[in-house]
Parts: sequence; structure tokens; C-alpha cells
Amino acid sequence: MIHQFTYALKSLFRNKMLIFWTFAFPIIMAFFFNIAFSNIVEDEKLDVFPIAIVQNQEWNNDEIFQKSIETLGKENSEDRLFSLHYTANEQEAKKLLEDEEITGYLIVEKEEPKIVVKKSGIEETVFQNVIQEIEKQKNIVVDLITQKIEEQMKQGITTIDQEKIINEELQSVQEKGTYTAQKNENNHLDYTMIEYYTLIAMACLYGAILGMTAINNLLANMSTKGMRVSVAPVKRMKMIISSSLVALVAQLIGLVLLFAFTLLIIKVDYGEKIFPIILLAFVGALAGLSLGVFVGTVLKRKEDTKMGILIAVTMLGCFFSGMMGITMKYIIDTAVPIVNKINPASMITDGFYALYYYSGLERYWVNVISLIIFSIVLIALSTIALRRQKYDSI
Amino acid sequence: MSKVIEVKDLTKKYKELTAVDHLSFNLEEGEILGLLGPNGSGKSTTINCILSLLTMNEGEIKIFGKEMKPNAYDIKKDIGVIFQEVAVFEELTVYENIDYFCGLYINNKQERKEKVEKAIEFVGLSEFKKFYPKQLSGGLLRRLNIACGIAHEPKLIFLDEPTVAVDPQSRNNILEGIKALRDKGATILYTTHYMEEAEILCDRIIIMDKGKIIAQGTKNELKELAGIEEKVTLEVENLPQEKQEKLKKIPNIEEIKYEGNQLMISFQKGENNFTHLLEWLKQEKISYDGIYSEKPSLNDVFLQLTGKELRD
Ligand SMILES: Nc1ncnc2c1ncn2[C@@H]1O[C@H](COP(=O)(O)OP(=O)(O)OP(=O)(O)O)[C@@H](O)[C@H]1O
Ligand SMILES: [Mg+2]
Repeated sequence: MIHQFTYALKSLFRNKMLIFWTFAFPIIMAFFFNIAFSNIVEDEKLDVFPIAIVQNQEWNNDEIFQKSIETLGKENSEDRLFSLHYTANEQEAKKLLEDEEITGYLIVEKEEPKIVVKKSGIEETVFQNVIQEIEKQKNIVVDLITQKIEEQMKQGITTIDQEKIINEELQSVQEKGTYTAQKNENNHLDYTMIEYYTLIAMACLYGAILGMTAINNLLANMSTKGMRVSVAPVKRMKMIISSSLVALVAQLIGLVLLFAFTLLIIKVDYGEKIFPIILLAFVGALAGLSLGVFVGTVLKRKEDTKMGILIAVTMLGCFFSGMMGITMKYIIDTAVPIVNKINPASMITDGFYALYYYSGLERYWVNVISLIIFSIVLIALSTIALRRQKYDSI
Repeated sequence: MSKVIEVKDLTKKYKELTAVDHLSFNLEEGEILGLLGPNGSGKSTTINCILSLLTMNEGEIKIFGKEMKPNAYDIKKDIGVIFQEVAVFEELTVYENIDYFCGLYINNKQERKEKVEKAIEFVGLSEFKKFYPKQLSGGLLRRLNIACGIAHEPKLIFLDEPTVAVDPQSRNNILEGIKALRDKGATILYTTHYMEEAEILCDRIIIMDKGKIIAQGTKNELKELAGIEEKVTLEVENLPQEKQEKLKKIPNIEEIKYEGNQLMISFQKGENNFTHLLEWLKQEKISYDGIYSEKPSLNDVFLQLTGKELRD
């Protein structure tokens, strides 16, 4: 067992390809992100920018949305982000946008806030991000308010001051620092955080390559090395488990390096909740490993091909969860929500995001549990395949 | 002598293709048994079925008198396998590779160290212990591949075409090594499509074609099947057609071929074939150079039995 462990570790750490993809690549990406973002911060300091709100019926009925936007548009406020224009209908807003008087406008239709912008840039991204956040927060606030009102009614209070409750709840949510796009202490715009989170996701999922390689070397139908192992008097499951552990250890080392680099050198803020952060990274690594084990056992292709597939899947997953700009995540989330529901990169990214932005852990746990389910499903499918000891063809 | 391997009615199909067709044979303790057959005749498939890596459609495999199964660890511990394809870790050195695979059999560190050193010595890689597989020539890599399979000193060794694409020097080294293993008491199943190798190395040979045994025996027994006794080759300049016709009338001549200056004569079994030929040459006053006679090769056997050449 120890013999197997040390050699697996040795061969893994000497494999330049593996080291590059699982260790170096995410750090290199972090480095480039940092350069790109610090330029943004220095060159285009994020000023208050103009947006328009279409005051249709739905807007007028949506008190929570109104309050939130107003707070962000309040003159002389530290949190001020927008200068607000109100228009009576969409045509007017459109015209303002055409004339480049505003960055974009917001219209609430069918209970969905819709953002219209003309180009894609920092301000547009921030705008989109903020509105998305408000919408998410709104649902939480609505729940809280409903609860409060129910409580008061139960207590027999008949003169319920709805306005006051709404204000109080909004206040408390805002105090937790939600949906403000102000710069944090390290000069990173908050919305760039998500791109660093996708890097963590990437490092977790690249662990799949380690898992896949480990499994490939043990299975007779995947490699001649595997044939060698299969004719030896060793328990297969024991080999598989010890090799997978090695892959996991290596993966965790890679993650520690990436965390160290982003925390200490780039000064990315992951929030304060240390234990949940570690748990999420660990579960993420587990998901990556399971993906690797799955591809290793089930897919009968050359090792290089499998590696290519894993790299492509990881990249795509990270891209969909906002690695190259958060807009992509919004597009996917709205157009094909199922994709990010089963995309482990998105689960990991969203988990970190939830930890950072939300005081409650509900959304965080949804992601952690999704990742665990993802892993269990893949491991279960792999185990079925691994139970075969003889093959019809090798 | 006891039976180390008993194969009964082994049949293996890949979808429609029957790769091994009702194959039965035994491997006796202490012998080198050769499975000789052209590419695709089912040699590797046979080995992989015996080793319980492949499912079989029919048949029964016993090793050391016990039924072979994937979890028959007590059988597996005494087996060493060298697969057709080289299987080593690129990231591990020569020493580490052998140590890794040996470690699947032998847990005791000290014992393993001795065995690994011995194996390295045995295949002649002492100078290359710290080399990575990439740095080895094709021949040396094959030797490493072999060392990985035999370091634990198995009683039964399978070698699947271990000399493919190997330079003559390494090939001789490998063949000598295999004989040495047998002399030290190992029993060996050796597959090849080189008939010379089978002739030099094997105590007994099974000739396979299309998954079936077409002949088996010692090389001399097999050569009996060739239908010819010997082949005589001599150099003759300008042998006219009429003389060639006359030549064919000598008793026992099966076939003659005249190409360039080479006259090749195949004789059937019979008495004094060579003498008859020499007398005839003298009588006809045909001058010749470099006459030599050969026993038939396994290729002739294969040709006789299947109507095609073993090798092109
Ligand atoms: N995995 C497979 N799937 C389908 N057919 C296969 C498979 N492996 C081998 N075959 C076919 O089975 C037959 C026997 O193949 P096998 O590899 O056992 O031959 P071999 O004697 O070892 O040949 P070689 O000298 O080329 O190694 C061939 O016709 C081959 O094409
Ligand atoms: Mg073969």
C-alpha cells in the first residue's frame, strides 16, 4: 500500500504535463487575471455612471427593487454607483441609450428585470451584476418580510407598517455589504472575484486529470501497465483507492499553492469563513477526482485523448461559470439554466460567491451538496464499471 | 513432470470474429513451449484468456492444477508476464520501474532490493539503473520490460513476442536470458511469429493459424510434417532447360527452382538423395560452386499445412 502510494506520488510529480495543468496553469491564469484587473482598476476608476429606469406599472409595484436602486443612486452616498434617469416608457430610455446619455437601462417585465446595454464593458458588466444581485436578494428579503408580517399578525398586531418593515430589512441586508460594487481594500472590484473563484474551480477540476491517469494505469482494458497490475496478486480496489488518494493529495497540494498565491500575492478576498472555504475546496477537489475516475474507467480512449477531453470540459465549465467575464454566466443561467446546474465548475464558483456575498449559508450548502451528489453519481457509475474484472476486449 | 498449464477447448470471439477456436494444450513443468503463428493468429488473445484478463466464450483454464480466476492470488503470485507492448512508467527510472512492479509481488524491502538488483544484472541494464525509459534504445527498453515481469522470480513466465523490433544483439541477449530462466527452473510460454526463434528456443512448438492449432511437437517432429526431407542449394551458371527437365527425373525430387545462378532442389524423404544428385552432376559434367543442404524450416511446415508462407 505504502509502496504503491510512494510510487504513484513519485510518478505523478515527475509528470510535467500533469504538473503544468494541475499546478502551474491555474496560478499562471491568476497572475494574468491580476495584471488585467489591476490595469482596469488603475486606468478606468469606476465612477458613478448613468442608467435609466423605465417606470412602468411593474416597476412601480416593485417596492424592494425601487428601494435598492434608489440606495445605489443616492447622491452623496458612499455606495453611490448610478446616476438615475427615470423615463416613462421604453422608447425614451432607448433614445437615451442611442444618444449615449446612459450606460444602459432597466425595465421590469413579467416580473423579470431586464437590462439593455449597447456595448460590453466594465460599466455594463457592473450594471448587470448589480441587478442580478438585487434580484436574488429581493427574493430573500421578500421571504424575510413575509415572515415578519406573519409574526406580527400572529402577535395580533393589526396596524402593520409594511413600509417600515421593508426599510428595516433592506437596511440590514445592505449593511452586510451585499450587492455593492465598491472596491474592496485590495483594489479589486468585487465582481472580478468571481473570476478568481473560477480559477479555484479550474484547479479542482483539473484534478480530474490526476484521477484519470491514476485509474488508467491500473485497468487492464485501458493500458498495458494496467494489464501488468491486473495479473499481479494485488487487490484491485485497494490499488484504485490508494491511487485515487494520491491523486487527491496532489490535487490538494495544488489547491493550497493556488490559494497561497491568490491570497498572499494577489490578495484575493475569499471572505472570512475559513472552514466553509476549506470544505468547499475539498468537495470541489473530490468532484474533480470523481470526474477523472469516471472518465478513466468508463471512456475507452487513449490517455492523451482523455486528457484533452478533461481539459476541454474543465475549460468550458469554467467559461460558463464566468471565467472570461461574468456576462457568460448570466447568458448561460438564463438561456440554458440546466447547464450550470450540472456544471461542477459553476457549483464551486457559485459556492465561493455565496460565501462572500451572502451572510446566510443556504446557497453555499446547495452548492456543496450539489458537488457531493455530482461526485457520488460519478463514483457510483465508475464502481459499476470497475466491478468487471475480465473484459470482452482489451 | 506435472502440468503447469492446462488449456481445454479455449474459444474466444470478438463479436463475430473467432480469434481463438477450441484450443487445447498443456504446458509441462520446466519446458519452454512456443506458440508460433503469423500476425493475428490469436497468440496474444490466448495468453490474455489464460491470464483471466479476457472473458472466454468456452473453455477451461487451470494453472498449477487450480482453476484460474481474476482473484486467484495464490496462482498469480507465481506468475510473471511480459506483454507484447512495452509497459513501463515514463516518469520512473529503470530501477524504480522494476522495483514498482516487483513490489506488487514482494513486500519485504530487503528481499525486493536483492531481486531487483538481480533482475537488472540479468538483463544487462546495470549501467542504466538511473536512466528513464525515454533514454533507452528500443532493445534496452525491451530488456527493461522483461526485467519488470520477472524480477519477482516467478515459476511460470509468459512472454508475448518480447523481441519484436529489437536489434540482433539485444535479441540474442533476450533469448539467452530466457533459456537461463528455464535452466533455473522456470516454465515458459513463449509466443512469436519468428520461426527461427521458436526453433532455437523452444522445447516444444505449437503452430497456430486463425486461432486453431495446426500442428504441435518438437521441432524435429514438426519438420517430419513438412513433406520434404531436405533442400539443396547450389550455384550453377547457365543451366539449360533440357538439363533442368532431366534433373527432375532423379528419384525423390519434389521441386526445383532455378533463379539467377541459384539452383534450389527440394527432396522428398528417401535414401541417398544427396549422393544421387552429386552423381548426376558429375555424369552431366555440370560444374557448380558452393553446394549446401538444409533441413526444412518451420516455414516449410507452415507452407505445407496451410498453403501460405508464415512470413512474407
Ligand atoms: N480487442 C479486439 N477487438 C476485436 N478484435 C480483436 C481484438 N484484439 C484482437 N483482435 C483480433 O483477433 C485476432 C487475434 O488477435 P491477436 O492479437 O490475439 O493475434 P496475435 O497472434 O497476437 O497477433 P500479433 O502477432 O499481431 O500480435 C486478430 O484477427 C485480431 O484482429
Ligand atoms: Mg500478439
